[in-house]
Amino acid sequence: MFGSNRKNHRWINRLIAAGVVIAMGIPLSSCKSDFLTESPPHIIVPDNLYTDYAGFEAGLNGLYAQVRSERDGDSGLNGLRNEMWTVGTDNAFSNYVSTTERIFNTWGPLNTSLADAYLSNWTWLYQTINAANTIIVRADNPNVNWTPDQKNEVLAEAKLIRAWCYRHLTYLWGDVPLNLVESSGATIRTDWTRTPKAQVFAQMEQDLLFAEANLPETQSDPGKLVKAVAQHYLAELYLRMGEPDKAETEASAVINSGLYSLITQRYGVTANAPGVPFMDQFVDGNVNRNQGNTEVLWAFQLQENIPGGGENIMRRYWLNRYYSDKGIAVSAANGGRGIGRLSPTAWAINLYEPSDDRGSIYAIRKFYLYNDPTNLPSGKQIGDTLFLRWVTEKNSDPLWPSTRKWDWTDPLNVNNDGAYGDQPYLRLAQTYLLLAEAQFDRNELGAAANTLNVLRARANASQIGAGDVTADFILDEDSRETMCEGDRRYTLLRMGKWLERTRLHNPMAAANVAARDTLYPIPQAVIDANLGAAMAQNPGY
Amino acid sequence: MSRATSTWAHLLGACVFALFGVCAALPAQQITVHGTVTTETSEPIPLAEVTVKGTTIGARTNTKGEFTLSVPDANATLVVSRLGFARREVPLNGQSAIAVQLVANAVALDSMVVVGYGSQKRSDVTGSVTSIDSTKLQHSASNNLAQSLQGAMPGVTVTENTSSASGDSTSIQIRGQRSILASNSPLIIVDGIPYGGSLSDINQSDVASIQVLKDASAAAIYGSRGSNGVILITTKKGGGGKPQIAYQGSAGTQEIAHMPQLMNGAQFAAFKCQQLNGGTDCNSALTATELTNLQAGNSTDWVGLATRTGVQQQHNLSVSGGTNGTSYYVAGSLLDVQGVAKNDDFKRYAIRVNLDQDVKSWIKLGTNTQLSLTDRGGIPASFSDAFFMNPLTNAKNPDGTLTVTPWPEDVFWNNPLQNLLAVNSDMSHQVFTSNYLQVDFPFLKGLSYRFNGGINYNGRDEGTYYGRNTLTGAKVEGLATTINTTSYDWTAENILRYTRTFGLHSLDLTTLYSAAADNLNGNELQSQGFPNDVLTYYQANVGALLTPSYVVSDSRMISQMARLNYGYADRYLLTLTARRDGSSVFGVNNKYGTFPSIAAGWNITNEPFWHLPTVNALKLRLSYGKNGNQAISPYQTLARLGTDSYLSGGQSAPGYIPDSLGNPNLKWETTTTANVGLDFGLWQDRVHGSLDLYHAVTSDLLLNRLISPVAGITSIAENIGKTQNKGIEFELSGVILQHGSFSWNTDFNIAANRNKILDLYGNGQNDVLNQWFIGQPINVNYGYKMIGIWQQGDDIAHSAQPTAQPGYVKILDANGDGQITPADMVFIGNPNPSYTAGLTNTVHYKRFTLSAFLRSVQGVTRVNTLLGTNLTQEGVRRNTIERQFWTPEDPINTYPSNVDQDASNQLGVLFYQDASFIRLQDLSLSYELPVSWIGRLNAESLRLYVDGRNLWTHTAWTGLDPELNSQTAIPQTRVIIGGIDVRF
Repeated sequence: MFGSNRKNHRWINRLIAAGVVIAMGIPLSSCKSDFLTESPPHIIVPDNLYTDYAGFEAGLNGLYAQVRSERDGDSGLNGLRNEMWTVGTDNAFSNYVSTTERIFNTWGPLNTSLADAYLSNWTWLYQTINAANTIIVRADNPNVNWTPDQKNEVLAEAKLIRAWCYRHLTYLWGDVPLNLVESSGATIRTDWTRTPKAQVFAQMEQDLLFAEANLPETQSDPGKLVKAVAQHYLAELYLRMGEPDKAETEASAVINSGLYSLITQRYGVTANAPGVPFMDQFVDGNVNRNQGNTEVLWAFQLQENIPGGGENIMRRYWLNRYYSDKGIAVSAANGGRGIGRLSPTAWAINLYEPSDDRGSIYAIRKFYLYNDPTNLPSGKQIGDTLFLRWVTEKNSDPLWPSTRKWDWTDPLNVNNDGAYGDQPYLRLAQTYLLLAEAQFDRNELGAAANTLNVLRARANASQIGAGDVTADFILDEDSRETMCEGDRRYTLLRMGKWLERTRLHNPMAAANVAARDTLYPIPQAVIDANLGAAMAQNPGY
Repeated sequence: MSRATSTWAHLLGACVFALFGVCAALPAQQITVHGTVTTETSEPIPLAEVTVKGTTIGARTNTKGEFTLSVPDANATLVVSRLGFARREVPLNGQSAIAVQLVANAVALDSMVVVGYGSQKRSDVTGSVTSIDSTKLQHSASNNLAQSLQGAMPGVTVTENTSSASGDSTSIQIRGQRSILASNSPLIIVDGIPYGGSLSDINQSDVASIQVLKDASAAAIYGSRGSNGVILITTKKGGGGKPQIAYQGSAGTQEIAHMPQLMNGAQFAAFKCQQLNGGTDCNSALTATELTNLQAGNSTDWVGLATRTGVQQQHNLSVSGGTNGTSYYVAGSLLDVQGVAKNDDFKRYAIRVNLDQDVKSWIKLGTNTQLSLTDRGGIPASFSDAFFMNPLTNAKNPDGTLTVTPWPEDVFWNNPLQNLLAVNSDMSHQVFTSNYLQVDFPFLKGLSYRFNGGINYNGRDEGTYYGRNTLTGAKVEGLATTINTTSYDWTAENILRYTRTFGLHSLDLTTLYSAAADNLNGNELQSQGFPNDVLTYYQANVGALLTPSYVVSDSRMISQMARLNYGYADRYLLTLTARRDGSSVFGVNNKYGTFPSIAAGWNITNEPFWHLPTVNALKLRLSYGKNGNQAISPYQTLARLGTDSYLSGGQSAPGYIPDSLGNPNLKWETTTTANVGLDFGLWQDRVHGSLDLYHAVTSDLLLNRLISPVAGITSIAENIGKTQNKGIEFELSGVILQHGSFSWNTDFNIAANRNKILDLYGNGQNDVLNQWFIGQPINVNYGYKMIGIWQQGDDIAHSAQPTAQPGYVKILDANGDGQITPADMVFIGNPNPSYTAGLTNTVHYKRFTLSAFLRSVQGVTRVNTLLGTNLTQEGVRRNTIERQFWTPEDPINTYPSNVDQDASNQLGVLFYQDASFIRLQDLSLSYELPVSWIGRLNAESLRLYVDGRNLWTHTAWTGLDPELNSQTAIPQTRVIIGGIDVRF
């Protein structure tokens, strides 16, 4: 029990104890200095992406997706982004209102810097600008793996889209901050200033001229930008800058390029269905240039059930709630399901000559056929007609006419909410209208009449003479051509006629619109965040 | 005295003296001592530690409270201790059979307390630590560990966010809310290893004790994760002796506690007609379906269809025991809950093995391992939909199946019960193991090394399918989602400890070096567009649109810590702690943080000048220190791109845009706390308690500083901002009456916390958009204030709301400028409680025990969303609760008239109510069967009990429940169970 055995015991115990400690220490001695460094395998950062042509193309795809969301909701299926510049004008009013649509009937107390839609659109536009700036700034990195031609093509697309963003911003808010750098966490600015519009125009002109010089005339990929788009926007910019001669040059370049012509014949997937040539170009399957559409300059690409397929709520917002009526069910023939938030004014619907294709039953829904046997009102049968009325505008009117431009259904689910068909965004007819406006500004009334007559001839409307050409007539023709489609507010503002004509033709808004409403208020969050320098609000707010 | 007697006396004296001397001179004789350790009411105390004072020789009592110990010296003193009881020292005086009685007391200053990386006598603790009695957990009617903690400890607030079968959705806050964006949840340690899983995965009956570390000093050892407090959970260990089998089972029902009254069909029709056209033409105001149902007298009670009587049952079977050098506790348990919401089912199967083994007398190793399988399958109906669904629509088709769209004229609305048709499987399996190796160096007394290694592994597989019999599925021709998540956390700690007593000085030095990592890997596949519903979510390979996504999260930590406990004469105590943490989530420029603290204690009653016998224990504690809150998510410091794809020739074209800015300076939030505490015991601990006052300032808060949207990215995470919490906590326990076989104990706790934002973005400005105001708590009620309803005869034209009509909401014009603008928004009440309290009364009479626990939360004002005027949507498409409207004949002042809210309440003013409540949280009655009755079963003890949870609530709140976050979710439940507790 005592003696040497015990000593050995103790020695061995010490050895075991020491061994245990050392053994435990081994795994921890492998604490390398990079044990605490993060390297996520699933997150992409700008330094990893913008290193070659494919990476920059991915960045451009992001830009296109952002632009496409102009016709999507700013929060899921709610709040169509482009409402701000299509409704509350002489040819469109808000029918079934929710928070945002209400503003464009009521103006006044609802048109404030606190409106969510304004901040949402402001942020969306500047987010697109930041993405474009990132591409433009990083393109100058000499280590990028690409050819000079590829570089210029990428720069051209990015600069055009940046100019497109500033186009929206200047129309909506006037003087806006000019941001041309990539935002970084290290340099956060709180002292933005509202750059005068003229300076922003100068930057836009520079970007668009670069795009014009470096974009190809045609692209095999139907969604990609082409030179004509740059020229069209240049034409519009020159009109805003008070240089109608340059505008005329740019617009004519598009029209006379030989690449584009108005649709005058039936074609494509609807060639044999009842309809008119004017409406064929809006049908999914007919929209892209490679599908036979010679009129489209820029088409949005959409596809159902595919990543990157996008979503579109134009039909949802512009098509009325005809199915509220007993006996009429949602169907593909009826265009699908809409919630009637936005409607054309009675004046706009009545603006057409009887022969004008653009006001025909194929362009504007003016009646429905009873098609629901389960629910027929008494005295009606399947196939009977329900005529719509458009005398006095009011809210929540399900029997008010709608445009048929955005009809689209999923054949397996006629009730679905979004639309996934391609859509024309910019077309030659709009370039013709810019040309007519430029000619009018230069007092070339005869030439303007000829330009307008081309559009009218396509639509089977009567021809006009030089004496008919007035600012109001051009605006009427623009409404006839681009009702429920284009940037009506911008066109009216550019010609200085928004306030006058909205009062004249939009009974819902007439009593409410005021001079200050020609510019929207800068979102309050933008002003509040500008702690370094006080940012002035637009007058009257 | 006579010469004879004196001689006799001397002889006797000499013999006695000699005997004494002989005894003293005899070498210390080893004796074997057998004994029992019981409570004052003769109940055995298992797992009590019996050690020979001054040595490391010891044993633990078995489940009958018996122990056997080889004591080297028959006159040695035994020290008997057990967590939750007062320590006792018993001189053997040569006895070989003793019976020791311990006084039960969770907070008595002589009991042992787990403090993190060890345990201390409560009288030596300098920080603020509170405990919960494990018997309170044993027979609770709640299934979830977090729910059992509600109201039990001052300063620990457990809020049930959503009522559910699993109890998963509870949040725990200790001493108020510090962080605005980051988590306020405390760190949870189970058997020494940080536990990141859900508390509903831990089996309550395996838990021996829970301690909560509240102040800077107590939590300082956890450094960058201790800011929100630390909860230490210790599971049961085995005892020496013959195996003891214990079974505990219970079963019971759950009912809805309170449901606000929704309108039925007829009431809804009247409401709708009145609002749409003033009640003049009901036929045109209602759609065809509504009219048909109204005329037939049909009214669908959607919430009724979505709920049922819930049923729950629990079974726990454990075997524990041990032989020399080994002790084990093995338990299996089953929990099966079917909640009050249909399809809200929760099942948990768990096995626990706790084993301690002495390899040599100075090497010990052990494991505490739990394996569990949890089944959360089944999705309950959407209550937010069910609350508001139009009662005049159809839940079922004529053939009894659920309708896809209950309202044919308005196909936007899905059937709120559609989740009941969804196919859902949700299984998670978990392994949580905490293992240790302890070496008490034999050659250097007082020095020990301990290695703790823990692994927490959790795998969760979910599959969900919505078929064409639901609107969600019909819209996309079948929607399938499969999610597989694996999380794997490991911790490795090296702890070196040195304890030494030199005369009156005692020293306890603990040092730690550890590494830990948390790893999460998940993949999700969402697919839609299937040919049919037969294969549910197993047919992604034929889906039309597949959207995969990944979650990867990896964070690592390296830490060093040192703690010195110094005591002088059991009177003066000092604790110094410092911890240094480095974490991978911190920005590149701030990888390491140091968190020091100091604490002192003074056992006043051990002073020689103390002569007040009434007060047998009085200790003053002071502490001051810094803790951190890691706050940052992995990868948050990096600049990132988000996905935004386009199409090219009809094919996907992947795209990216910048969506967040990087910040290399991001670091942890720091809380600096000062705490003053007083622990006391009166009349030999018949009454005991403690009082704590604290003041904590949290700085470097993680906030998303809103930057100008001109940058394209609207916010960046930065460490700015400061908040403050100060408060007072008091707990008191006492034996009110003890007379024969009748006794009455009371436990009371009360706490008040005041929270305030001191600074936000460094410029003294408030963040109105997020409702964060300097000088106000983090959570406030801020908005327009309704001061009544405009009545006929009021001077509306000259008021601040000239366009109003009688019956419209009257808004306070706070600045008196004659207009209602955003400047008129004010603070309305306080959503944070003025104080919270808990009171438990336990009465024993012979074999019966009755215990009642009341919990009170006072001073809370909240928005009652159910009263809102905007719930029904334009065209009155949704239901709402029954209420009284202003009418000219009945001009009330509390609610506007029944017109479109655009008119009556254009600015959307909200309705606030007092959400204070007193709740009878727990009421239980138990009966211990006499030994004579159960002897036949070979059982040692058998207890029957009945327990009710949430039986009664007193509150002015008219919504669903004053505590739940959402007022349109699964209702709060009332649970009644009956159970049995048997020991063999």
